[in-house]
Amino acid sequence: MQVLTGVLNGNLTVISLDRISFGYDGRATLEGVEVTIPAGSFHFLTGPSGAGKTTLLKLIHLEHRPHKGSIALFGENIAPSDAAQRTRLRRRIGVVFQDFRLIDHMSVADNIALPLRLQGKPMATHREDVTELVEWVGLTERADALPRTLSAGEKQRAAIARAVITSPELIIADEPTGNIDAEMGMRILRLLVELNRLGKTVLVATHDLGLIRAAKSLVQARTLRLSERRLLLAASEL
Amino acid sequence: MAALRSIAARIGLLPDDEGGPPIVPPSGWSAWLTTLTAGAMAFLALLTIAAGLAAGGLAEDWRADLAEAATLRLPAGTDAATVAQVVDLLRATPGIASSRPLDAAEQAALLEPWLGRGAALDDLPLPVMIDLRVLGTGPDVAALEANLGLTAPGAVYDDHAGVRAPLGRAAEEVRRLALAGTLLVIVAAASMVALAARASLAANSELVRIIRLIGGEDAFITRAFVGRVVRRTALGALAGAALGAAALAALPAGGAAAALAPVLLPGAEGLAALAAAVALGLVAVGWAAARITLRVTLREME
Repeated sequence: MQVLTGVLNGNLTVISLDRISFGYDGRATLEGVEVTIPAGSFHFLTGPSGAGKTTLLKLIHLEHRPHKGSIALFGENIAPSDAAQRTRLRRRIGVVFQDFRLIDHMSVADNIALPLRLQGKPMATHREDVTELVEWVGLTERADALPRTLSAGEKQRAAIARAVITSPELIIADEPTGNIDAEMGMRILRLLVELNRLGKTVLVATHDLGLIRAAKSLVQARTLRLSERRLLLAASEL
Repeated sequence: MAALRSIAARIGLLPDDEGGPPIVPPSGWSAWLTTLTAGAMAFLALLTIAAGLAAGGLAEDWRADLAEAATLRLPAGTDAATVAQVVDLLRATPGIASSRPLDAAEQAALLEPWLGRGAALDDLPLPVMIDLRVLGTGPDVAALEANLGLTAPGAVYDDHAGVRAPLGRAAEEVRRLALAGTLLVIVAAASMVALAARASLAANSELVRIIRLIGGEDAFITRAFVGRVVRRTALGALAGAALGAAALAALPAGGAAAALAPVLLPGAEGLAALAAAVALGLVAVGWAAARITLRVTLREME
């Protein structure tokens, strides 16, 4: 089944999955998944635990290679063995990992600034951007702290800041409210909505239906449901 | 200066501290083993090269000395008048710079290692030895011996070729041994750095994974890890080479070291230059070994 989620911001497609299949240890997790996500849209990806939400995000972020089918990002077909292409496209994606993946020996501010370093942008000219972003995610007081001293919510916000520091076109977040209380979850949701209003395409994997309902009161969001290894456009009851 | 600093940072010799803290996290005391091993390698390399240069050079000097010397041996019992005639003949021979008959004391000194001090040489039929200094390739031996045949039958001209050839071979062998020793040190240093780089990457595999996922290139990762390993190697190599140079400079002035001194210690500047060359060489070897290892390992981690 193909899921077409509409056209926003002209007709640019940010993510296009064509009959993707993937599995672990011979067991299929996804089969024949097709989806097209346009630029500037806000999507939730939902489904029961183990349905393959994280797997699908990893495929989109080029962390996994599909066993069958093809992926195109920003209109560019992915060549499996092209490491340079993979790096180039990843720089257009900001990713918030489920387990944050902050670098332990770097402070919050240095973690947030890391993508700038990786792209060869001198810190001297971006120091203000980092400071502003740290403030935007409410971590000014914790800017010099190491990740191990942060709460789950603080780590989540640091991970979001790192994901957006380079102003990527696509933001992928995997269970961004999974480890935090409802109030912090709403703060993070508002951050993501604000980014979407700035023109970023947002894709959030979550099993938190409350978060999805809350988002729909703030932004025009659509929901993709993974079920039985297939991807469906969820009904509007959410 | 800024350009040099930028190049040094790019190849990993200086930390890339403009962009924030080091990418590779601080490691424990075991990391200092790299520095220690590099120091030992530099020390050994310096001693091996210096010993090779010294021994080879000394053999060359002996060979050169012998090439300028020859001996004319007259049969035992040759009288003084004949010896004087022979010396006159030698003075007139092209290719001979000087000639001088050895006196009894000099002959006794030559024989002392075999016969012992105070041996009764008067009872022995010793030949008369004439020490010659030759010019260039020396005299025409056939013509000289023909001339001597009339004046002093039984005279033998000895150009020491039998001694010079083994010395030449010895010099070559010592050089080859020194080269082999130096190559072994280079291979050992490269292996040590490769192992350290690989271990460092393995210990930080999650860091590598994160950097790749947020848009880092393998070239960036390579630079960060090369820098860490090369700086440790450089520190060890400089310390080891400096210690080696100090050890050579501290050789006692007398004894066997005195014979080696002219070649082994070509002045403080020469020694410093040799130590610097050894340290730089090891750093270059370490840099290349680390870079190749990291690139290969990162490809394996794909």
